Amino acid sequence: MSPHSPGTDQIDTLLTISIVAAVILMIAVTVALLYVVRRFRSERGVEPRQLLSGRALQFRVGGFLTLFATLLFVLGVVLTDNARERPSTGEAGLASLKGEPLQIKVTGQQWIWRYDYPNGAFSYYKLVVPTDTAVELQLESTDVVHTWNVEELARKADAVPGKTNEVSFISEDEGVYEGSSATLSGQAYASMKTAVEVVSPEEYEKFVEERQEEIEAAEERVNNLIESGETP
Amino acid sequence: MSPSTRPELVADGFQSSRPRWAQLATSADHKEIGRILICGALGFLFLALVELVLMRIQLLVPENSFLDPVSFNRMLSLYGTTAIFFFALPLVFGLFYFVSPLQIGARGTALPRLGQVGMGLWIAGATVLYAGFLFTPSEAGINPLAPLSERAFLSNNGVDAWAAATGLATLGFVLLSINLVATLRMMRAPGMAWRRVPVFAWAATVGSWLMIVIGSVLLAALTMLMIDRNYDGIFFSDGTGGAPLLWQHLSWIFFTGAYMLILVFAFGALAEIVSAFARKPLFNRPVTMVSLAAIAVIGTLAWMQNMLTAPIGIGWMYYAMLMALALIVPFGLVIFNLIATMAGGTLRMRAPLLFALGAIFAITIGLASELCHSLVAAAWHLKNTTDATAATHFALIGGSVLGGFAALHYWFPKMTGRTMGESLARISFWTILVVRLLGFVPLFFAGTHEGQVVDAYKYFGEDDVTGYNVISSIGILILSVGILLTIANAIFSRVNGPAAGHDPWKGETLEWLTLSPPEPHNFDVLPDVRSARPLRDIREAIGRRSRRSEQAASRESQPVA
Repeated sequence: MSPHSPGTDQIDTLLTISIVAAVILMIAVTVALLYVVRRFRSERGVEPRQLLSGRALQFRVGGFLTLFATLLFVLGVVLTDNARERPSTGEAGLASLKGEPLQIKVTGQQWIWRYDYPNGAFSYYKLVVPTDTAVELQLESTDVVHTWNVEELARKADAVPGKTNEVSFISEDEGVYEGSSATLSGQAYASMKTAVEVVSPEEYEKFVEERQEEIEAAEERVNNLIESGETP
Repeated sequence: MSPSTRPELVADGFQSSRPRWAQLATSADHKEIGRILICGALGFLFLALVELVLMRIQLLVPENSFLDPVSFNRMLSLYGTTAIFFFALPLVFGLFYFVSPLQIGARGTALPRLGQVGMGLWIAGATVLYAGFLFTPSEAGINPLAPLSERAFLSNNGVDAWAAATGLATLGFVLLSINLVATLRMMRAPGMAWRRVPVFAWAATVGSWLMIVIGSVLLAALTMLMIDRNYDGIFFSDGTGGAPLLWQHLSWIFFTGAYMLILVFAFGALAEIVSAFARKPLFNRPVTMVSLAAIAVIGTLAWMQNMLTAPIGIGWMYYAMLMALALIVPFGLVIFNLIATMAGGTLRMRAPLLFALGAIFAITIGLASELCHSLVAAAWHLKNTTDATAATHFALIGGSVLGGFAALHYWFPKMTGRTMGESLARISFWTILVVRLLGFVPLFFAGTHEGQVVDAYKYFGEDDVTGYNVISSIGILILSVGILLTIANAIFSRVNGPAAGHDPWKGETLEWLTLSPPEPHNFDVLPDVRSARPLRDIREAIGRRSRRSEQAASRESQPVA
């Protein structure tokens, strides 16, 4: 993966550390196995020394493993804490928020994602956010469990019905970041994709205003139809 | 007198008047039930492989239309359930049930009819699961997360059949476990204190206690799911006072515990095999035994490792990480002790040892990659990617297929009186060992680099994962052939294998004292157990006695003057 936010930078670092640790363990055991098999392979009938235990050796190995696990735990806590640190909006970010994070309600439903913006506009499938602005997603679900997953920008998080899950991120790079849902949610799960488009704050303001106007126009048209008796 | 002669009196030639099938169907003997469970497990391994291969064919190329999404989800649900409840766990309990009473010198089990009922429930569960084909199998996935498994979202009876099937099987395992706990507690041979119990029998004790705990939790969860689906319950539905996350907690306690149970079984068997084939006692037995118990307890307590993206508090996530990382110590000690047992030994490279070495290798790769899933922020990236599939499959195929096959090759002579064909075993072993790297390593890369998600019935060309999936599909196809070779070997060797004698490996635990296959009452006479290696004690005593008589004889034959 290629991280595009400070949070995913931390996730990527921890991932790299964990893969290095895992590969070290794999290589150590594999080398030990190969060595033992080559060195002690022998013909039937020879009785080896009946060594029952080596207490000192066992303590050393146990101590080493404890140290290894402790080190990983500390690194895990530190980097996870860094990754979940709430970002703050920078100077080039959306000015109208006055430093507050941009709050967006994300609703998972079979099989599409809906994004509600603070001004009442909403969009399906694609979320548009401004650069250099802290974004806070409130994940909810109307039916089953979905996992929101745009790995280049933020952590994976589950949208569970009846609960709210919170994800925050900030991005300085404009671009479109795609992701697919990551929890089996029924028949069309494989096609349940989403995308986050990071644009400049001006473009973002233009986008939400246009969306709001479009939605209001549509609502007005429907209301007119209802009032005139031609219910759609 | 050679040291390998058995010092025991045997009443052989005991013939049953009933036909073999009637004896199998009605017997409460632990050996017959063990045989049924093991044979059944191998049969379901075949079905699980068929389902896995069908899914991999669907994932061979992007946007394939070999299976539609509903069929794929059904295959997925069937595969996971078959692999866990109808292959891995019955193989584990079949071997526990056959071997561990023999290892402790018991003439039967404490509650034989309870075990028989358990086996019957397991068969009923298997029947219900596959009878699902007559109407509709479950589409809710390996662990059907509520509320997808609720009637509002899957209104046909597939999930009900799934819940009934796993419930029956789990209840069966719990009953078998209760019998094993009672037997291992009450029926050990004179002198066999816990510190002298064979490691595999100890693993059976730990595993059975674990199953009693986690099986009960799953049974509770399944009952709630059934009430939700059929009697308007609200346990797992939101908005009415229910909690979808409750299902995740309860089910993950079971699945995480079952994962640990399979590994405890594998390490118990590997400890026996490695020490028998290195001709050395297990290095630091007590530490290994305590470690196995620690794996069962700590591992199960790490269940929330599967919920690191769910809306739970960060404190719980760190708790799951602490428990998961704490597992490094007992797992590391057990693997170290297995390798230390081989160091300085004289390794006989027969099929059981080969499979055991392969199992240690595969379990290590699996557990080391699970380590990445334990670190919270790394899991935020890796959760539900194919990296998780690969890690779980390395650990569990390592434990249940390679470890299970090692145990099968090792105890096959005890079950049938014949050894499994050695050359076919070697071909099967090398195929499995090499090709599983081909089958699952690409999934590591697809998961970590490209973030390919699990359980999806298709992927798209622009996801850049086509190459990984092609290699993986081909690998898993050949892997299945390799696994089938061992099943074929077992079927063939049961009647045609080379006759093994009663103690082909020069084992040091009590199961090698009796006949192969054992008589219904297992033992005529039992020695007083003075150490963890009673058969070695007997051989040494015989050796001393024959040396003494030789010396006496040679003294007598010398000229007096």
